[in-house]
Amino acid sequence: MKLTIDPLKCICCGLCESACSINRDSVLTPMTSSIILHIDDKANYFGLVLKTKAGGVVLAKPEGVTAAQQASGSGGPGAKPILLREACDLCGGKPKCVEACPVHCICTEG
Amino acid sequence: MSLYLRNGKVGIYDLTKDDSTEQPLEEAVSWESASSDMIARRLADEYGQDTLVLATGLLTYSFVPAAAAGLIRGRLDADGRERIAPLLGFAGTELKLTGFDFVVLKGKAETPGYLWIRDGIIEFVRAPDMLKIDSWKRIDRIRADQGDNEIHVIANGPWGDKGLARSQLVVDYWGGEDKVGMGADLGRMGLAAIAFRGMGELDVAEPEGHFEDAILLMREHIERLGKNYGLASYAKVAEREDFRKIVHRHVACYGCPFPCRSFAKVEEDPKEFRLLSKEPGYLHFDIPALERAFDTGLDARSATKVLMNCAKAGAEPCTVLSAAATAATSESIDALISDIPRAINSTNIDNPPGNFERSFEDQKEYRRCLGLGLCPRYWSKVGFDTAAIGSFAEATVGRTLQ
Repeated sequence: MKLTIDPLKCICCGLCESACSINRDSVLTPMTSSIILHIDDKANYFGLVLKTKAGGVVLAKPEGVTAAQQASGSGGPGAKPILLREACDLCGGKPKCVEACPVHCICTEG
Repeated sequence: MSLYLRNGKVGIYDLTKDDSTEQPLEEAVSWESASSDMIARRLADEYGQDTLVLATGLLTYSFVPAAAAGLIRGRLDADGRERIAPLLGFAGTELKLTGFDFVVLKGKAETPGYLWIRDGIIEFVRAPDMLKIDSWKRIDRIRADQGDNEIHVIANGPWGDKGLARSQLVVDYWGGEDKVGMGADLGRMGLAAIAFRGMGELDVAEPEGHFEDAILLMREHIERLGKNYGLASYAKVAEREDFRKIVHRHVACYGCPFPCRSFAKVEEDPKEFRLLSKEPGYLHFDIPALERAFDTGLDARSATKVLMNCAKAGAEPCTVLSAAATAATSESIDALISDIPRAINSTNIDNPPGNFERSFEDQKEYRRCLGLGLCPRYWSKVGFDTAAIGSFAEATVGRTLQ
């Protein structure tokens, strides 16, 4: 199973970040999540960045979804960039970000 | 016992003495004492009515749908009435993650600058030259100086610097929350902006149960609400054909499944999704401003430009549009925005109508909803039921309130 992301469906609500942290550490914080919002708010440009175990970093930006070992340009919290975070473990088979996403921007495949 | 969904801390910053202190946040024993609105009032009573209080709600940053709200309380108006502005987007949640539930600001800075709040620290950064630039450039500069594009900024503009009652604070570039001239409060205190970065964490009484219950509630809402059309789902004014043609994407505040914010592009094709222009347009959620712009005779594109320029100047757009003659052009309105002395003379016009305030007919209900940390616009649409939210909230914070 893997996560698929359609960045154009994203509404930038941030629920995926906090859903990830509640599963990982049982607290609410955007700092430990494996999935983070990528935002350039003044330009209204936003999408998601996901750290996976198998495929490295997935950049889900409005232009499309690409995989990259380097997180160059991935944005995310300056204090804790995506490369310093733990990779997604799919919440043991029932990903909470998928459950929480109100617009089905994040789905599972396989 | 843990304080769930709270940091348990109030930060107090004395701008005159350049000194930061803190006090513990008393545990709420009743719904009234849990309301951020009521706590902000109590803090103003304690520290003086000239203070500015930044507040977060009990449920802010929880999984309860649209739990995005914080608020700012300014000094009382000339008639002794309270002045409150909601904080939406990610400002309320980010503030809570700085480690403070409330921040009280008092005094006046000797040299103008901005407040920088993060990691349980409140610091004043001297930046007198910031008064020479508009609100958008202030946000850009703070993010560049502090090296983090995720910093959230409540920015003042030239109108607020001059202490104009019809000023408007912008939150991360956009206006629409502050309809009470809170920019004048910041101007009086020598504050060009308030910046914060939330890197903390919050405990929840029952993490799994809270998540499951909240997502269930959200799904029920989504099913009931149907397809989302951004601002047009909340206001008829956004259904106009020329407005729909320039809408790019709809954007949510934290935790909102049914956004009311629609970004309109005026500097590039609205269908352009690549990152090209750095300032392609404006995020609309100020319903009365858009209504007044159309009443003035502006088309959607011109209205967007006027609202954008009002935000940069820190000017309340309904005031500016009321001061402009009907059939005004966006150019003539822009001249009015930059003509501060004339604008001062135009303040005999009606007070600007509330934006989020008008979500509820009963302003007590509005304050109750906002005081919990919930977006009034969203909750008025899905039906704000104090009893239902109350039991939900009690489970979240792990105790019963009277």
